[in-house]
Amino acid sequence: MQNSTSDKVFSFFNYLFLAIIALLILYPLYFVVSASFSNPTYILTGEMWLWPKGFNLDAYKKVFENEDIVNGFINTLKYTTFGTLINVIMTIIAAYPLSRKDFYGRNVIMAIFVFTMFFSGGLIPTYLLIRDLGMIDTFWVMVIPNAVAVWNIIIMRTFFQTTIPLELQESAQIDGCGNIRILINIVLPLSMPVIAVMVLFYAVGHWNSYFHALIYLSDKENFPLQLVLREILIKGEMDEMIKATSESFFKQQLSVEGLKYAVLIVSNLPMMILYPFLQRYFVKGFMVGSIKG
Amino acid sequence: MEKIVQNKTSIPPTVLEIKTEASLSKWAILKKSFRKNWDLYLLISPVIAYFIIFHYFPLYGIQIAFKDFIATKGIWDSPWVGMKHFERFFDSYYFWRLIKNTLGIGIYTLAISFPIPIIIALMLNEVRNSKFKKFVQTVIYAPHFLSTVVVVGMLILFLKSDGLINQVITLVGGTPIDFMTEPGWFKTLYVFSDVWQTMGWSSIIYLAALTAVDHSQHEAAMIDGASRLQRIWYINIPAIMPTIVIIFILNAGSVMSVGFEKVFLMQNSLNMSASDVISTFVYRSGILEAQYSFSAAVGLFNSIINFIMLVMVNYFAKKINKTSLW
Amino acid sequence: MKRKKYLTSFITGALSVSILLSGCKDKEATTEADKENKENLSKTNMPIVKEKIELEGFAAKFFSSQDWDKLMLWKEYEKMTNIHINWETVSTEAVTEKRNLMLASGEYPDLLFAAAVPKSDLIKYGQQGVFLPLNDLIDKYAPNLKKIMEEDPIVKQGITMADGNIYGFPAYYDPNFKGLRIGTPWIQKDWLNKLGLEEPTTWDELYNVLKKFKEGDPNGNGQADEIPLGASTSIDQIIDFLKGSVGLNNHGASNVHIDLDPNGDKLRFQPTSKEYKQLLTYLNKLYTEGLIDKEVFTPDSTKFNAVAAKGVYGVLPEIDPKTLLNLDGYVGMPVIEGPNGDRLNTAIGSPLGNVGMFVITDKNENPEATVRWIDHFYSEEGIKMFFMGFEGVTYTEKNGEFQYTDEITKNPDGLNLDQAISKYLTWPGGYYPGVVKEKYFQGAEGSEASLENAEKAEPLTLTQDQIWPNFNFTVDESTELSALSTDIKTYVTEMTANFITGKKSIDEWDKYVKTLEKMGLNRFMEINEAAFKRYKD
Repeated sequence: MQNSTSDKVFSFFNYLFLAIIALLILYPLYFVVSASFSNPTYILTGEMWLWPKGFNLDAYKKVFENEDIVNGFINTLKYTTFGTLINVIMTIIAAYPLSRKDFYGRNVIMAIFVFTMFFSGGLIPTYLLIRDLGMIDTFWVMVIPNAVAVWNIIIMRTFFQTTIPLELQESAQIDGCGNIRILINIVLPLSMPVIAVMVLFYAVGHWNSYFHALIYLSDKENFPLQLVLREILIKGEMDEMIKATSESFFKQQLSVEGLKYAVLIVSNLPMMILYPFLQRYFVKGFMVGSIKG
Repeated sequence: MEKIVQNKTSIPPTVLEIKTEASLSKWAILKKSFRKNWDLYLLISPVIAYFIIFHYFPLYGIQIAFKDFIATKGIWDSPWVGMKHFERFFDSYYFWRLIKNTLGIGIYTLAISFPIPIIIALMLNEVRNSKFKKFVQTVIYAPHFLSTVVVVGMLILFLKSDGLINQVITLVGGTPIDFMTEPGWFKTLYVFSDVWQTMGWSSIIYLAALTAVDHSQHEAAMIDGASRLQRIWYINIPAIMPTIVIIFILNAGSVMSVGFEKVFLMQNSLNMSASDVISTFVYRSGILEAQYSFSAAVGLFNSIINFIMLVMVNYFAKKINKTSLW
Repeated sequence: MKRKKYLTSFITGALSVSILLSGCKDKEATTEADKENKENLSKTNMPIVKEKIELEGFAAKFFSSQDWDKLMLWKEYEKMTNIHINWETVSTEAVTEKRNLMLASGEYPDLLFAAAVPKSDLIKYGQQGVFLPLNDLIDKYAPNLKKIMEEDPIVKQGITMADGNIYGFPAYYDPNFKGLRIGTPWIQKDWLNKLGLEEPTTWDELYNVLKKFKEGDPNGNGQADEIPLGASTSIDQIIDFLKGSVGLNNHGASNVHIDLDPNGDKLRFQPTSKEYKQLLTYLNKLYTEGLIDKEVFTPDSTKFNAVAAKGVYGVLPEIDPKTLLNLDGYVGMPVIEGPNGDRLNTAIGSPLGNVGMFVITDKNENPEATVRWIDHFYSEEGIKMFFMGFEGVTYTEKNGEFQYTDEITKNPDGLNLDQAISKYLTWPGGYYPGVVKEKYFQGAEGSEASLENAEKAEPLTLTQDQIWPNFNFTVDESTELSALSTDIKTYVTEMTANFITGKKSIDEWDKYVKTLEKMGLNRFMEINEAAFKRYKD
């Protein structure tokens, strides 16, 4: 492989540009980590901007002292794993047929799906429906109403259309393979990258979900992690007239400020670790080379 | 050097394509397709059922926009008021300002936030050193996980009159800028902090698409003496073009959906003229009374505009590139 | 969709007919049940009912994890009253959505507690018959609230809706709790002493003091880091304090932008008055000379407190800085006299908080007992129980002074006060029907310094009978007003900020007034006049 000068120049600028971007992002991230170990006063006055100032573990202690954290974590794990599993399957079984040119009616179906991205009946009819289905305050309410996202179906369909060669599917059909077998034995193995992406997107969606749980869950045994953590972040902004609610209002405000960062890190660390794991699936499907000719 | 054609969607009809659409009636075609691909219809049916149950069935709730919602009467029995809520919105002194700000931010975001993840993905794809690649990838996608509150908090901290940025400015001899209170800066700050937060996450999809690029084409191009830039331009970009177009169409369909939380946190009485968007206006309207119907009407208005944008962009994309949603 | 609508209409029609027919029978049944309830009810003592009754209640709670079935407050109160309540609780964050969902689903309970029902909903659902009118019930069965209403007429006016009915019990802040209700901003007396200055009482004196604060390095650290005047949540804190010095807000601060025209008996829209212009011109002068904190337009209460804790503010409107931030030397500012000779503290509002904190629905079969249940919390004993809890467990009494126990203030598990209290009581978060009385309230507003500040300002503060409550509007008025006031308020807020900072010259005043008129200012005032008239009658 030759490396001409223009390539070397390109390489240099490439690395430089990416390094600058990485740094621009790294600093504020680092700030968050640093802040989670600092005395909140210094954060607010702007005195802390590099090293933790007033180093303490109070914020983290507060987070982990909460007795509902472990339960919340387990719940979120349950919702995320099952939810993502359902999501990915639902996305695949919708995206594959839609990607087939001989699937008559696919434009109509796609339009039906896309329409729902824009127009919705709103919270009240949805809530009433879920109530009538008996799902309020159950495990299912966290994984069924959000079983699939149109956006993701579209992404996956596009991926199928552009990377799975028609010839491959055709030759399999000629060999007598049914559609389902084509899907499972040919299409899916070639689609690891997009499946990895879907897992990531859906998992993060479940992990961060909060409003849904707030509305549909009432038994704290079912609460996901985000809800529990939100609780710890007692909002420092209270109604003007209700300002007079307790002693050391300021102390509380400060602790909220410090907690924000620790909560952020604790709640997101698992998801941030997920990506590197999924990165290894971002490799080409090995079948592509066999199409030539 | 000849341009290597990559447009897979223009492959001539094959066994899988039904050539006789013009001659058979639609019903006959459906029957034929059904017989051949009945298992595909079966496969997709749970998803269709899901949408019918959870999205189409509750759709009757959209009437709220045309009614004076009284919860105990339910949606069906609440009194009909027609366009009253829409008129209220259109008659507001601020209507045009809201549209200008909302669309302005939406389009500005699209223009800046859209290309950057693509560029990043293309660049990352060229990195040979896997450690560096992994490092950058992990770093740049992390901001996606920061909560809006923390991001805006940091933004304000760095940009306040005696914050980090202004200190640097004074150091090089300039006068400090009131970033947060100057209306002129608002949109730029909003968009660029948005880019900062989402570019890594948004690049993931393009990275995944790039894995499917045919390596043999690159080999052939290199033999022909093509430089890296040329190879990116003539091989990589066309390969991911369908993905780019589709995502562009989808983004165009959310141009009016400027989120509430971030704007609200960045807004103050001095930058209102640039920062007041539809969602914050509706929020403020709701402080006197519970505003279900009004916000439903405004939401419907937003959705319609978004939908029109999507359909238009989709139409043009189909004409230009043969890639589209339907 | 059309077919479904016809079907629904048909079913509704059929149902209505059958309801009409069965109505006659039901009437008999209800009077029977009524009689039984009345016999079960004890008119004045505890327990409230002889035979235990169960009620369904909806409530908002501050801590999502709080379990109201196990809370000491409710368990003890049940023993006292013989009334058991099955609570459905939601987080205060989701209460608006949940309340609407609950009403929409038709499965709403007998009562709503601490659900902060807005006035527009109170009258809307009151007129639908969903919320019961409470006037008679209060008269007969709520002696404590009745007493408060008699002692303080503003309460009755405030909780009576535009149709003449009372639909909810309010949150009420005892007017005698001076530290809470009355106060001026705090001024750093040590700095005054150091610079040889007197406490300012006029605009010019205030200007001088602030200027000296900025230039004289009163904190003696060699740096010009003093910020003469700041505000923690909004520029309005400063504006409201100084409004009295030009005679604005002459009937209190509850009706934003509205007070009485001194030349007659019509309402005045303050932001277009010449007095307001004077005030803005003065503030603009202060701002351009750097005497007002630049950050005041991008407020962040937490950040403000953190900076204030360094002792750099000369004047700040806040909760007592000593208790809150452990800063010495601050005293209450004197009431200031303006250029026209007015010297008033008008920064005081109605003692009522949300007036829909307790609502009884039409599903309730025991409204009398329910009213008695809630009324107890307006009595001395009830207030004590609600806020202090139970002797020996959550508080101790010494010489008439009440203190929380160590378990609350120095919780062994590291919980802060709100969290520790929430194991027994529900008041943290501020959502409750009830009375906030100084004796039983442990916030910073109860501090000595706060009281001193209040007493200093009191002689020049509006008296209780001069204060107007928030006006109440009919359903139609509400909707129309909502549309107008969003625009008007937005404009006033923006222009005020622009005039003060100088971004817009005060010479544009006429254009500003004209724009407001274009926004429907006249209609806005008309609607308020109608409500005002109702209030007067």
